[in-house]
Order: sequence, then C-alpha cells, then structure tokens
Amino acid sequence: MSRFFRGGDDSSSESSSDEEELYTSEEEEEEEQEQEESSEEEDEEEEESSDDEAGPEKKGLSRFLVDQASSESEESDVEGATKVKSAKDKRFDELEATITTIQNGQKINDWGSISNEFDKLNRQVVKLQDGGKAPKSYIKCIAELEDFMNETQAKQKVTPKKMNATMARGFNAVKQRIKKNNKDYQSQIDAFRKDSDAFMESDEEEAPLPKPSKVKFAEAFVSEEAAEDEEKGFARVDKRGKAIPFSPESIQKHLRSIVESRGRKNTDRAEQIRIMEELNKVAETPYLKIRVLQTLVSARFDLGSATASMPLEHWKAAERELAALLSLLETHKNHVVIEGAEEWEDDDKVPVLGPDDKYIKVPGSVVSYIERLDDELTRSLQSIDPHTSEYIDRLTDEADLYNIILQGLLYYETVRKDASLEIPQESLNRIIQRRLDHVYFKPAQVVKILEENSWKQVSSSIDSAITPRALAGDAGQLIHTLCNYLFSNSEGIIRARAMLCQIYFLALHDEYYKARDMMLTSHLQENIANFDVATQILYNRTLVQVGLCAFRRGLVYDAQNTLQDICGSGRQKELLAQGVMMQRYSQVTPEQERLEKQRQLPFHMHINLELLECVYLTCSMLLEIPLLAQIGSSPDIKKRVISKTYRRMLEYHERQIFTGPPENTRDHVMQASKALAAGEWKKATHFIHSIKIWDLMPSAEEIKTMLAKQIQEEGLRTYLFTYAPFYDTLAVETLSTMFELDSSKVAAVVSKMISHEELAAALDQVTNTVIFRKGVELSRLQSLALALSDKASALIETNERTLEVRTQGSANAFSRKDGRQGGQRGGGQRGGRGGARTGGNAQRQAGGTQFTGGALGAAVRG
Amino acid sequence: MASAPTPAAGGNVAEYDLMLKLAPHLDRHLIFPLLEFSAGQLLDEETGDVKDEAKAREINQAKYALLKKTDMTDYVANLYCDLEGLNEPPAEFADKKQKVFSQLQKYEQETSKIIELLERDDVVNNLRSDKVANLEFLKREHDVTIEMVNALYDLGNLQYSCGNYADASEMLYRFRVLSTDNDKVAFATWGRLACEILTMNWESAMEELQKVRETIDSKLSQNPLAQLQHRTALIHWVLFPLFNFEKAREPILELFFNAGYINTIQANCAWILRYLAVAVITNRGRAKNPGIHQKQMKDVVRIVKQEAYEYQDPVTRFVHALYLDFDFEEAQRQLVLAEEVLRSDFFLLAHADDFVDSARHLIFESYCKIHSRISLKDLSARLGLNTDDAEKWIVNLIRDTRLDAKIDYKEGTVVMNHPPSSVYQQVIEKTKGGFFRTQVLSAAVAK
Repeated sequence: MSRFFRGGDDSSSESSSDEEELYTSEEEEEEEQEQEESSEEEDEEEEESSDDEAGPEKKGLSRFLVDQASSESEESDVEGATKVKSAKDKRFDELEATITTIQNGQKINDWGSISNEFDKLNRQVVKLQDGGKAPKSYIKCIAELEDFMNETQAKQKVTPKKMNATMARGFNAVKQRIKKNNKDYQSQIDAFRKDSDAFMESDEEEAPLPKPSKVKFAEAFVSEEAAEDEEKGFARVDKRGKAIPFSPESIQKHLRSIVESRGRKNTDRAEQIRIMEELNKVAETPYLKIRVLQTLVSARFDLGSATASMPLEHWKAAERELAALLSLLETHKNHVVIEGAEEWEDDDKVPVLGPDDKYIKVPGSVVSYIERLDDELTRSLQSIDPHTSEYIDRLTDEADLYNIILQGLLYYETVRKDASLEIPQESLNRIIQRRLDHVYFKPAQVVKILEENSWKQVSSSIDSAITPRALAGDAGQLIHTLCNYLFSNSEGIIRARAMLCQIYFLALHDEYYKARDMMLTSHLQENIANFDVATQILYNRTLVQVGLCAFRRGLVYDAQNTLQDICGSGRQKELLAQGVMMQRYSQVTPEQERLEKQRQLPFHMHINLELLECVYLTCSMLLEIPLLAQIGSSPDIKKRVISKTYRRMLEYHERQIFTGPPENTRDHVMQASKALAAGEWKKATHFIHSIKIWDLMPSAEEIKTMLAKQIQEEGLRTYLFTYAPFYDTLAVETLSTMFELDSSKVAAVVSKMISHEELAAALDQVTNTVIFRKGVELSRLQSLALALSDKASALIETNERTLEVRTQGSANAFSRKDGRQGGQRGGGQRGGRGGARTGGNAQRQAGGTQFTGGALGAAVRG
Repeated sequence: MASAPTPAAGGNVAEYDLMLKLAPHLDRHLIFPLLEFSAGQLLDEETGDVKDEAKAREINQAKYALLKKTDMTDYVANLYCDLEGLNEPPAEFADKKQKVFSQLQKYEQETSKIIELLERDDVVNNLRSDKVANLEFLKREHDVTIEMVNALYDLGNLQYSCGNYADASEMLYRFRVLSTDNDKVAFATWGRLACEILTMNWESAMEELQKVRETIDSKLSQNPLAQLQHRTALIHWVLFPLFNFEKAREPILELFFNAGYINTIQANCAWILRYLAVAVITNRGRAKNPGIHQKQMKDVVRIVKQEAYEYQDPVTRFVHALYLDFDFEEAQRQLVLAEEVLRSDFFLLAHADDFVDSARHLIFESYCKIHSRISLKDLSARLGLNTDDAEKWIVNLIRDTRLDAKIDYKEGTVVMNHPPSSVYQQVIEKTKGGFFRTQVLSAAVAK
C-alpha cells in the first residue's frame, strides 16, 4: 500500500529514500506495524461494542481509513481502488500458497522450510492487513503452527533423538518468532480456537463493519503519511516546517527498532543517533530517559570501527550522555541499571514501581559503557601523533573520563549496598581497575589534582566507602586503598595487575625497598608467563620502573640487575609496548601486527627509552669496568659477563679508528668507560655529567653527585686492579689525593677488596700503606690446573644434580647418602669450599635478592 | 599493653627497647616475666629504691591490664589494690575467685576418673601407640568417653590460666596421649610449650618445640599466612630457651637458619635479628663446628645487610660496620652502644659480657685479616684496654686462635703473617672429594 501512495505523491522527498533501505528495515517496520495493529485492534473492539460513529475520532483512524479505501469498499471515489484490489487478490493468492507450503512442511516435520516460509508469510501478511485484521487464513495458519510447535517441543522432550542442526535452528527461530508474533493476534487466535468454523465464516460479515465513509481520502492520505513519517525516520520534519513531536509513548518502539537494527549492514547510524537525540529531549520519565541514553551511548560506540576510533564529537557526546545517565541514576535511586535484569517486553507501557518492588530494573551494564569509553579514548590517543597539540587536547578529556569512572564507582557502591540486587563483585573490580589504570603511572601531585577536580563534580553529600573523599589529597594512600581492595576482593589477573600497579607507583615515588619487597613477595616473576600479554607488559614496565628507582637511590648493582632482562634484550620498545620493532627476517602476519599496534601504550604513559638506556649503560659501566680490570690482570679467571649488550658496544667502540667527540648518550657512556678504565675518573665524571638526559630525572643534581661518588670509588678499584702488579706498596694518602676520597674511605675500599680476596694485599697500619703481596701470580700451567679442577668439581656437581632430578621420587636414598658423606668428610672442608665460592662471587651475590625474568618477548609477540 | 619507654629514664637505650614489638607475638603469661624485668630495671641497684615512680606505676598498670583476663585472681586483686591504694580488694574479685574455684572443682571431678585410670599400671601397660585403638580400649574396658578426654583439655587450660603451669602441663600431656582431635592436640602442644617455658623445664620445652615445628611444617603447608603467623610466634617463644638453656642453642640456631624461618624473620619480625646476631656472635667459641659457625655468621651478615633499611639497632649496626663497611672505629662505637642495649634486654642481659668479648675477638680477627702490621698502642685503644692488658689479650688470642702473628716488642707492633694459599694446595682441596663423590654417584646409578 505504501508504495502505491508514495508513487502518487511526487512532492514528497521521501521518494528519495531508496527501496533498498526500505527493505532492510522492513522487518522492523513490520513488527512495529504489527504492534500498532494490535493496539488498534483493541480499539476496534471497543468501538464495535459501543458505536460505529465513535471510530473516526480515534487515533488509529487514518490507517483504518486507508485500508478501508483499498479494500472492497465501493464508496471510495478514487480510481486507484480497483487497481489495488487486483493487487491485493494476487497477494492473497501468494499468501495461500505460502500457507500451503507451511502445512506441507508441518507434515514432514521440516522446520527449516517452515522457518523460511513463516518469515515470508509474515512479510506478506503485512501488506494484506486490513484495519488491523489479519486475513483469517493467516490466523488459522499461525494458530495451527503454534499448536504444532508446542507438540513438537513436547515430543522433543520425550524422544532422545535429536533434530539435525538446520532443523533445530529453524525450529528455534520459529519458536521465538511465533511467540512474539502470536501475541499480537492473540484475540483473533483465541476466537479461532474457540470455534474455528465460526471464525472462518464470520469474518465475511465483520470485515465491512466499520464505515468511515465521511472522511475524505486526501485527509487520510496526509495522516497516513504522517504516520509513516513517524516510523520511518523523520526526514521530513523540517521540510514541512512543522516539527512532528516525538511523543514519549513512541519512544520505546523507536528504541526497539534501533536496538534490533544494531549490527546490521546498511543501517544509517548517524540517522539513528539523531533520532535518539530527539527522543532524549522528549523523554519524560526517568525510565525512558535511561533507556534512551543507554541505547544512544551504545549506538555511538558502534560508530567506531575495528581499526579506527570513534569520532571525537561522538566520544564527547557519549561522555556527556554517560554522565547524564549516571547522575540520573543517582537522583532516582529507585531505578537501577543492572546486568541480567529482565527485558521489559511491553512497549506500550512504561514500567512502574509495583507495590512490592523496590526498584525498576533496567538491563544494561554501566561498567561496560565506561570501559568502552576508556578504550575508545586510548585508541584515539594511539592514533594521534603525540607531538601535536591535538594530542594534548585529547589528553584533557582524560579528566572527564576519570570523572565518569569515579561516578560509576559511586553508583556501583550504592547499588551494591542492597544485597537483593546481587551485583557481582566483578563489576566493581573492573571499575576500580579502570580507575587504577588511570592513576598508577602518574606522579602524586598530578593524581592529587585529578582526584580533587573529580570530587568537585560530585555533590558533597556523597562519599565513597572504598575510597573516601578524604583520600583525594593523598595519592599514595589512594593507590594503596584501591590496590588493597582489588587484592582482597579479586583473583587472578586483576589481582596481579593491582599488585603491579602498586609496585609501579611505589617505584615511581622512590619507595625502592617497599616496591622491591612487594615484587619479591608477589612471586610474579615465576608465573608472569601465564598471564596475558597486557599484564606481561605491565610487569615489564614495573620492572623497569623498579630498576630506575634503584638507580635513583644509588643502588647501582640492583638497578643493573633489574634492568638487565629488559634492556639486555635489545627489544625494549617491544617489551614495553612503546613502539613496534622492525623485524627484518621474521614473518609477522598482518593480524599479529594489528594486535601489536593495538597493544601500544599511549604516549603519555611511556617510559623514556633513552633515559632508560642511559641508566642501564651507566650502571653497566660502573660494574663492568672494575670487573674487566680484575680479569685483565689474570686472563684465566673464568670470564664473567654482566651485560652482553654493554660489552658489545664497548668492543665496537674500541674498534673504531677515530673517535670524535661524543654525540649521543651512548657515545658519552662509552668514552666515560674508556676514561674510567684508564683511571681518569675526572674525565669519566665529566663525560657522564654532560649527558643531557639526566635533567629529566626528578633530582638531577643529586644523581650527578651520586654518580660522581660511584665513579670515584669504582675508579679507585679499577686503578688498584690494573696497577697492583706494578707496585710493592702504595700509600693510602696518595690514593686518597689521587681520587679525592677520604683516607678512611680508601682504607675501607681496600679492606673490602682484601677481605673479599679480590686483591692480594694487606694494610700496614703503622706506615699507612697498602702492601701488595708478591708471588701470587700464577704461572700459565698453574692457572690451567686450577681451572681444570674447578671444572671437574662442577662436573661432579652437575651429575649429582641430574641424578637428583631424575630420581626425584626415589631420590631419598641418594640424598641420605649425600648427607652421610658430608658428615664423613667433615663440615670444615665443605665450609671452606663454600667460602671460596662465595668469596669469588661476592660481588654477584651482594644484592642477594635478585628478581630476574622479564616477560619473554616471544610471549609478547604471540 | 606495655609501658611506653620514656626517653628521660632510659636515654637512647630505651629507643631500642623491643618490648612493644615482642609483646604481640607472645602469650600473656610469657609477657609477664618481661614486665617484671622492666620493673626490676627501675630499681636502683644499691638502695633498692624505685627510681621513677610514674614509670613504675605505668608498669604496674600494664601488669594489671595484662593479667586481668587470666584467672590468677589473688594476684590480680593485690595488683588492683596496689594501683588504687585500697586495703581490701573489691567483692568482684572474690566472686571471680569463687567462680574459678568451682570451675576447677567441676573439671577435676570430671577428670578424676580418667586420671585415676591413667595412673593404674595395668591400664597404662595396655596402651599402644595407636591413639584410636587406645580410646577404643578405654571405652570398652573403662567407660571412658570422649567428653572426659576433652575435660582434661579444659582443666589444663584453666590451670594454665590460673598460673598453675606444672599441673597444666601434666593435664595437657595426658590429653594429648588420648585425643584424636588434631586441632586441639596442636593447641595442647602450644600450651605445653608455654608451660614448660614458664616452669623453666627446658629439656621438655625443646621436645615440645620440635613437635610444634613439625605441626607447623606439615599441617599448615596449605595456608601460608597461618604458617607465617605460627612461625613468628614460635620464633618469639623460643627466645626463652635460646638464651637460658645452653643445650638449646644449637638446635634453635639451626631452626632460625632454616629457610622457612629465616624468611619469616625477614618478612615479619626483623627485630629478631638482634637476638640472632647476638646468639651467633656469642656462639663463636662454643660451636663444635667452626665451619657451621662461619656459615651462620655469613648468613647473619647477609641478612643484616638486606634488612638494614628496615631494622637497625646497635647490634646489627656493629655487624654492618665490621663486615660490610670495614669501618673498625664505627664498629667499636656501636659495640659500646650495643653493650648498653644488651644490659637492658630481658633475654640478653646474661650474655652481655660474653657478647662484648666475642665481638672484640671478631674485630681483631677481621682487623688482622686485612692488616699486616698493627701498632700495639693503637690496637689497645681500639679494644678499649690499656697497653699491658692489650698485650696479654693478644697473646692469649694468638694462642687460642692459632693466628699466625708475632709481637715485635721493640717496635711496639703486631706483625701478621699471611701466607698465600699455595696453588698446589688449592688444587688438592678442590679435587679432594671428587673420587668419593663419584663413587657414591655410581652406586646410586647402579641401584
């Protein structure tokens, strides 16, 4: 019918809306029509009981009339009526044919075809409906079909035989649709069921019953069009100059149609969003507002595609709407949005608070909206060039997002107070995790400002139980509270992440020992490989931050040791998700590449890689140069390498024929290393101090002083190692002036070296000199013999260990024997052996607490 | 719980008072001796007068608060009178006493039968090691019910609460023989440990200690937190035998250096390091096995270093200065402080002299290891002795430790001789055990 009228109306711009679109949204329209139909039907029945004349004033009038005109009524003076009639007959025939097919399908139990035909039937019947009355044959068909379906279902329960997949799918589809569909025709079906024959006959009389002959067709035409407008998209509102108000009653229907079109192709999302914006204006009750806002926000999220982030203005709008939603929920405490609430099926009524209901429950998940909003912001930050002002602009949106997160948290806290709602702990955990994600990497002052601003947005009467308002000023305490909450209320990944965030924050704020102890007690380094990639990245970041913290505290050994795994790999960028590595020979599928790109952190979260490298190399220098000097004098000591990366760079640097003045960080460190190795500690200090990047550290001057001190000491050690063979005695005074150290400090350093058996010397207290012992240098043969004996005992040990591993179950016998053997040989020797070993490794063991193992790169790429 | 140390009274020593840290991990009855000791510290040694009235009162209050919950009614009543200046204790104490008394009688009645049974030889001889069978046997032959067994436990508990430790220990022992309730047995074991400690019955305290340790290691392995807490408590409790019973020293040190316990100390109660360090240092001459002692010393040094950021007192600082910084003057200064601290510590009082002596040895040893020539005068100043005494002391030392050193009297120096370890000797050392170990290995493989 509508097509016919549209054809006639040449002035309407609606004709521009192409057919295709019409078809895609056909189903929705259909349903809507059906729904409308059903309401009209009710009206009609009332009319029938009262008076014929009352009909035209009713709301359903227009449609009623049009159909009337197109049906067999002869009063209509339009010439098109005859045409319509013939078309209608044709459609009736089609309908009959479909019904027959369905009946056949029923006979052979072919649900696949029934399902198809049923859909077709529904489409056809829409066009045939007259005055809200579906054709009788249709009613008969669907009534029978329902019976048959119930029967099949009952049978299904008894027989163990299963339907095949297509059949089952068809069956389920029909089952769902038929329930919904039949509701609309319930009264007719009931009538049919009561007395099927009477029903089939009576309709002939009933059909012409309403006689709205007085109304002109033109009027009907206009109102029909208006009705059509209402369902079809309001395109004409402006053009007509008369805004057609969206009535609050129609909101639910619109929403339903929009929700159902979600995810389909060719839906005009922008159009839908516009509709909903309008709807939002007219929505009156909180329930409707909530529904509209929910749908609107989801629709906006749909705008973003898999690769691109959602447009900026929509993000902002979504943010505003989410804020509105949350404040709405806050003011109307009897409305709650919870997951797993039942869908409100009746579109004509707005749910009201029943006498024994405490809440109106709206299905939906606030936390998912917030998460999505957060993700979208991250994605947009990933795609913006970080060096532009656009990035900074975008970053300011983070504050708004943080507000939303805070409000969301408050919302969940309030709803969780009521145990009857059964809000899962997980939602709260998720939202707290999000909040934590936004603060853990920021300095305390920034967090403080962020927190205070967010709390300003919240009315002063509200306070959070988990993170009281008073905490806003104390970032450390806030992080602690959030992490503790997660730690005690969650498990698995969230728990691990909470812990890592806290460690990161502690490390960032120079709480090295706390951070280290937490890292060690968490035992994360043992099972980090089992976590997902994002968590592994967080672990790597935390590890690096702990290393940097150790460096700031002057703990060179710990810093080097901690950073070793990340920086030694040469894949810092990848391990910290701060850039994709170009891999020459590896084959990365586009899919993997895309995933990796998605994982990248936004720029403002980055850890400065150059600073990191600088710290790592400086630490390596301070450890490696004395070691090289120690090894240098006796080439046969088992070669120990602390940092392969550093060694490689040093070798490369030494191979260069001509070395110019240092340009980058690496050059500086390398030249400093050279100077240090030559005992020129002042020059080394100068090189290190002239590295510009130290200024990025919070207290650059202190760090430089610390480094100078370290270089002095290590310089002294290097000097002693290098020149010991050439001296008999050395005055402590001389050393002290050479290295500008206190003589007591020099004495302490020398004592330490003597005690650790690194230096064959002794102090003479009377003359205050270092006396080097002679005759300790080994001949080639002697040192080889020593090395051989070392290897032999190592071999035995390995064998023992292997056997132990092999015979784990029955190893008791062996270990008992081992114990006895230990007793026989006497502990003294054993102790001696142990002593020698620890003496040699003293430097390596000095920290005692090493945590190693950055999450492996292979896992990252996977 | 305990009195807050006032700086005026104890000076800087008070700041190292561990009372507050120790108390939460000890039982009420075990804290009592510590409080008594603090009270004793306030008495002037010569006159017996109380030096600081306010503080003494505080301690009395603490005592009262501590014991209020126990059933030692008479003593508590007296304390109350003292505190309030009353002559006659209020009626409530009498009431309570009466109640306790009737309770005691009730339990005694309930348990009289089983106690009597357990004293009969013919019954005891029939008991086997299987607890369930024992209970069955008693049920069958003598109508012993499980309630009667549990009454033993309750009686033991009550007697302990009354301060009647010896009897309590006996009751708990009997209960443990019969009961099959694992939790209660564990509690009974702790109870017995406390009883034995309080009755200074160290031998059996050590037995109980072993039992508690086994329970912790086996039963609680699924619950790391409970394990940690129990271990912490155990570590604190065994301080009593550690410093009061010579034979307990070796096994307890061994316990402390056990991986689980050393981790507990590091994680939960770093202040125990003071006791650990003192115990190891004073153990110097006594240890049967110098190798083990060396290893323990090394462990102490390592842990002191690791925990330096968390816990420091003169004792750990002494260790730090001597073995990590090689700052002998600082070590000397800390030693003086440490002595003071030791003298005001309940556990360490008796070992203060011993500690100072051993610490001096350690300083000297370490000093000699590094120096080849030391002036006698300087050394005597360092050791805090006059020159003659120092000379004697060194001579003794050289004789005792078989140090390779000589005194050059004319120059007034001690000359150390550090023979470089011969490379041949080193090779021999390294390959010494090889043959034997290989033999063991091949035997194990052949099996």
